[in-house]
Amino acid sequence: MDKQQDFVLRTIEERGVKFVRLWFTDVVGTLKSVAVAPAEVEGAFAEGVGFDGSAIEGLTRSFEADVLAHPDPSTFQILPWRGDVDPAARMFCDITTPDGQPAQADPRNVLKRTLAKAADKGFTFYTHPEIEFYLLNNSDWRNGGGRPIDQAGYFDNVPGGKGHDFRRRAVRMLEDLGISVEYSHHEAGPGQNEIDLRYADALTTADNIMTMRTVIKEVALELDNYATFMPKPFADHPGSGMHTHLSLFEGDTNAFYEAGGKYQLSKTGRSFIAGLMAHAPEITAITNQYVNSYKRLWGGDEAPSFVTWGHNNRSALIRVPLYKPSKSQSCRVEYRAIDSAANPYLAFAVMLAAGLKGIDEGYELAPEAEDNVWELTDVERRSLGYKPLPSSLDHAISLMEDSELVAETLGEKVFDYVLLNKRREWREYRSQVTPFELERNLDIL
Amino acid sequence: MSDALALSDVAKAGFIDLRRGRETAEALGHLTGCDVSVVLAVLGVAAEPDVAGSTLFEMFSADPELAVRCGSDRAWFEATVRVIGASRGLGEFLTRHPERIDGLRTPRTDFDSPEEMTRRLLASVGADSEGIAARDGDAATDALRCEYRAIVCEIAAFDLGAEDATTVLDRVARALADAAGAAIEASLAVARATLVAQGVARADVSNVALAVIGMGKCGARELNYVSDVDVIYVAETRSEDALSTEAALTHATKLTQLLARGIYEPGREPGLWEVDANLRPEGKAGALVRTLDSHLAYYERWAKNWEFQALLKARAIAGDPDLGRRYVEGVAPQVWTSASREGFVDQVQRMRERVTDHIPANEVDFQIKLGPGGLRDVEFTVQLLQLVHGLHDPRVRLRGTIESLTALGEAGYVGRDEAATFADSYRLLRVLEHRLQLRNLRRTHLMPTGDEDVRVLARAAGFDVASVDLTDLWRSTKVQVRALHERLFYRPLLAAAAALPEEGLNLTTEQAQARLAAIGFNDPKGALAHITALTSGVARRSTIQRAILPVLLQWLAAGADPDFGLLAFRRLSEALGESHWYLKMLRDSQAAAERLMKVLSGSRYVSDLLERLPEATAWLDGDEELEPRDADSLRVEIDALLARHDTQESAVAAIRTLRRREVLRLAIAGIVGVGDIATLATGLTDLSRAVLAGFVGAAMRDAAHNPEFAIVAMGRFGGGELVFGSDLDVMFVYRATETCSGAQAQARAEEIVASLLSSAEDPVLALEIDMDLRPEGKQGVRVRSLDSYEQYYDRWGATWESQALLRATVVVGDEPLTRDMTTLIDAVRYPESVSAEAVRDIRRMKARVEGERLPQGADPTRHLKLGRGSLSDVEWTAQLMQLRYGHDIPGLRTTSTLSALAACAEAGIMTAADVDRLRDAWLLASRVRAAGTLWNNRLSDVLPTDRSALEGLARLLGMPPGNASQLEENYLGTTRRARAVFERVFFDDDARPSVAPTD
Repeated sequence: MDKQQDFVLRTIEERGVKFVRLWFTDVVGTLKSVAVAPAEVEGAFAEGVGFDGSAIEGLTRSFEADVLAHPDPSTFQILPWRGDVDPAARMFCDITTPDGQPAQADPRNVLKRTLAKAADKGFTFYTHPEIEFYLLNNSDWRNGGGRPIDQAGYFDNVPGGKGHDFRRRAVRMLEDLGISVEYSHHEAGPGQNEIDLRYADALTTADNIMTMRTVIKEVALELDNYATFMPKPFADHPGSGMHTHLSLFEGDTNAFYEAGGKYQLSKTGRSFIAGLMAHAPEITAITNQYVNSYKRLWGGDEAPSFVTWGHNNRSALIRVPLYKPSKSQSCRVEYRAIDSAANPYLAFAVMLAAGLKGIDEGYELAPEAEDNVWELTDVERRSLGYKPLPSSLDHAISLMEDSELVAETLGEKVFDYVLLNKRREWREYRSQVTPFELERNLDIL
Repeated sequence: MSDALALSDVAKAGFIDLRRGRETAEALGHLTGCDVSVVLAVLGVAAEPDVAGSTLFEMFSADPELAVRCGSDRAWFEATVRVIGASRGLGEFLTRHPERIDGLRTPRTDFDSPEEMTRRLLASVGADSEGIAARDGDAATDALRCEYRAIVCEIAAFDLGAEDATTVLDRVARALADAAGAAIEASLAVARATLVAQGVARADVSNVALAVIGMGKCGARELNYVSDVDVIYVAETRSEDALSTEAALTHATKLTQLLARGIYEPGREPGLWEVDANLRPEGKAGALVRTLDSHLAYYERWAKNWEFQALLKARAIAGDPDLGRRYVEGVAPQVWTSASREGFVDQVQRMRERVTDHIPANEVDFQIKLGPGGLRDVEFTVQLLQLVHGLHDPRVRLRGTIESLTALGEAGYVGRDEAATFADSYRLLRVLEHRLQLRNLRRTHLMPTGDEDVRVLARAAGFDVASVDLTDLWRSTKVQVRALHERLFYRPLLAAAAALPEEGLNLTTEQAQARLAAIGFNDPKGALAHITALTSGVARRSTIQRAILPVLLQWLAAGADPDFGLLAFRRLSEALGESHWYLKMLRDSQAAAERLMKVLSGSRYVSDLLERLPEATAWLDGDEELEPRDADSLRVEIDALLARHDTQESAVAAIRTLRRREVLRLAIAGIVGVGDIATLATGLTDLSRAVLAGFVGAAMRDAAHNPEFAIVAMGRFGGGELVFGSDLDVMFVYRATETCSGAQAQARAEEIVASLLSSAEDPVLALEIDMDLRPEGKQGVRVRSLDSYEQYYDRWGATWESQALLRATVVVGDEPLTRDMTTLIDAVRYPESVSAEAVRDIRRMKARVEGERLPQGADPTRHLKLGRGSLSDVEWTAQLMQLRYGHDIPGLRTTSTLSALAACAEAGIMTAADVDRLRDAWLLASRVRAAGTLWNNRLSDVLPTDRSALEGLARLLGMPPGNASQLEENYLGTTRRARAVFERVFFDDDARPSVAPTD
């Protein structure tokens, strides 16, 4: 048995760990956890832990139910929020079929496959997400809950505020788990916060996002609050996006950088942006996967509803940020549509695939948008060639259905499953009678 | 000094340009003071006397004193000529630095020790006891490069002066590796000096412990003259108090960059070779230098299997020896357990591919290194054996190819004599490679083609040009090496199976099983038992099988299911026993034996049939017997059978046997790639038709009076699109005659049908006859008269029946009845117009069938017949088009789905792109279905989820190994796209690109 596994088993003994959580992610992006007793860990390393995959969203079909979770000993961490009373630990798992093949429907595997394709072309994909979320008093919105914990705004420092305490504890806990945090600050909405995770390769970032969401929720609970990553919980306040900075490296050099190019963007960088733009509408069902996501995308403010790019244009879908001169390594593009409720594995995979497609096919980049896209009229936007992103989940699904790019990237099984799952969500949503309709219509009709 | 030098003497010395050669020799005679005949004799030892002569002339003219000194010492003179005459590159070096010729003065019997070489190179840059050079910059790098090249000149002189170069090869390769290590050590000393010059404190530089680990050929101490040197760097601080680990790594990284530049960067004295650190953890993306802990952590957590194989060669070559030793000891356990890791078999296959792939087509015939019979072939086999047996046996844990081969022989894993023979072949190939590289100091592995170049190579390698044809020798060596893998890897398995010690082999059963597992046998124990059964005994069969089994095993291992293949081969062998032709074929026909193994390990359908008809094995020898028999010859044979066999029973039995034989022929043709899907479909259709005609003939001949009788083929049978395992969809029709009419005719027709159905019941190779498409379906009578059909279609015919008739073809029957039945069918299936209601009916029925006919719990995306975008979607689309437009567009009047689709595109009622998507899906689903039957001899309408079955299918479809998931993706993607077309075209009137043209 290898040393890393020995280390895990030894630590479990020394620290008196009472149970070990085996983590993996379903197709929708929900973190799943199987708890095993310390005595079972050794067996889990050797043979994996079998479970009925049909119970997990999209993992398998009913007739191929059995899958195995193989814990990765290098991801072993003592979970900080259980304190010393009943120490628990976690490991991420790879999901395989009983004969040892990676499960096609494992989202982590989808991203790994796409990263491997990029690697074949000599690229490593790095991402840096800015994750927004709301802190609420609790989640019980039917009974007066679901209210933001403060009324502050962007970068406000709320004296003695709970949010402050919250961010301090959350950041410390994340660092205890080995996740570096770049910034954390108060966002524009009341109770809205943002935490930026340090630049890392896309797989690590996606793992970190999954861990971060759990940590944030745990810390909020410890403080008797509730944290939500719902894309648009309040009609009147900004939604929670997950603006993500993307860059490609060839070895140690930033493939987006070219000294003297406009905004120091290389041809590769420009084609990557063009690819993202060309395919943005069809990947939106992945980057913005809920009915609610479209309330944020079309909620005005700074939401990027039109397929445009710009240098310092806060209404553009893709932004090429300012960066410190002479820092070629930091050259990157920011994709602003994706929201905090996306499955990061799948979302990163399709964003990367779209950009790579642009590079492969040598797409030409359209001129940048210099004006506030929101202030233009429909006809002006049309004349400038600014296409809209899908306006609803339904619209997004039908665009994705026709997308070979998304099918190829997700793999046929995940592609199928996502469509099935999202169509169902849309059907159920459509069958609702909303307060809006009652207010508008009941009195007069 | 003799004044008349005959040109023939100059020619004898090996010159090409005789007149110039004579002038050069004479001039050199003047310069050196030697007799011109002596000069000529000396120049004669050069591989290229012309080059040696002119280079020396230039050199000696510049330094007459040197000319006299060198000329007065015959041994020295010759050594110089050898080096210059074999290597233009070293000649240029000596021209730049004539003083270095002094190094060739003392004839060597052996080389400096590695320590001595390091000392010389360190001295060249004036390194102190702390390993910091006295100089930095160009002067230092020039000095170290010159010293290195001087050492290479000495090595070359020794190498070229040897009686037989293969005998000194091991020492030469070792010396080259040592020289490379020494050069890196010296470059590191210069790098340290540079760092100090850049302002880093001397104490800090001294506190950096940096070890350079040699990988690849340098690590194994078997380096070429010109080759990249693969390295990995590991560093730490000597004292955490004085220098932090972080700072140590920063300095070390800088040092390694300077080190590599010192070796390779262009300079006044040209660079030596590239120092390549890409084998490091994470490859190019990874940090250049890591600590020992970081290395070990990486190998424990992240490393891929091939990285462990690379580590097999790891050796500390420069820098801190203690740290280097700890690195090598630290990684060693990982290397030798890699054979027990998951995925080892896959990785072995990929290693094998590396041997054979990636050779540009125009180089295949000239590669010394790659390809079957090349150097890499030897290296692969040796490494594989080391990894398999090194898991438990430390004796074979060595780095070098030759030393490992010897150790494997001594430990009894391979025959000792064979190990020696192959070591010799390897050495010869390496000598050729060395000489080629030496000539221009360029990295090349291509055998020259021009006569002149071959001649130079032969002279350089020490062969007598007159008596040895080097190209022939090389080719015969290659042939021998090509057999190496089989002889070293597979043959010892037999000895182990038979428990007979052979030529000093003593492979244990467990070791043999480990080898079998490494190449993909899932049940090595069972496999070994089969091998024992096949090879034990004294019968002629066993003797021959002992001889050929090694290579058969290799082919079986390449198949989808080696275990089953071996079992099937054993059964077949037992069935065929001592048949003379069988043993002869196995022994003499490689191609036939290879095909047999492919078939046995790839298809249970064929294996099972072969067991019944073992003599069919003979067909594998050539393509002729695998051609499908044409319809006429089948008819003739069946007529003859009927004439020969008096009883119904024996006639039917004979026809069944014929059918099994012909199906087997088609199946084998399909697997070995002689027949494509269209040929197979035609073959199966012709065969089914002939067999049914035979059964009908047998049924009818006993009665005095029969009605006219015919069989209408429907579905795939009617379309001529049968695949393995397809049902035969049919309807039966008769017409009364004068002698047989009324109720008697009906009764007689029913008897014929009953007889036919019982004839078709073959327990060995099922023949399903499906009559569900007849009027009134399952409730209807099994056979009707022509009149009854006419009335029925006229009065009751439902839309689905017209649709079913689209693929109807009368395949068996009396000529007049066939014609009249066809006329009747045509009227029903190509109506002048189709009502909107009928179209809606068809659409609704399709929608309903989708919901109802799919078996409970089946996954629609994987159902080959009724699933999403699979056969029925495509066929219904084509059929709806045919019903609606068949009357106007002649091309649509066809029973074949593919022809109908093509006609749709041609007539513009569907776009070419849509037709392509439908056709792709139809073909793929058909092929997967056929492959499913071949794979496990069971008809299945579902794309399997089991990976080994998918893998088997993928192989049968001609995909390379390891494509199970790819096949699944292809299938799901292709049918998804077809479904989109279907939904648009089948359900939606507006989707048609244009209205049907008027004809």
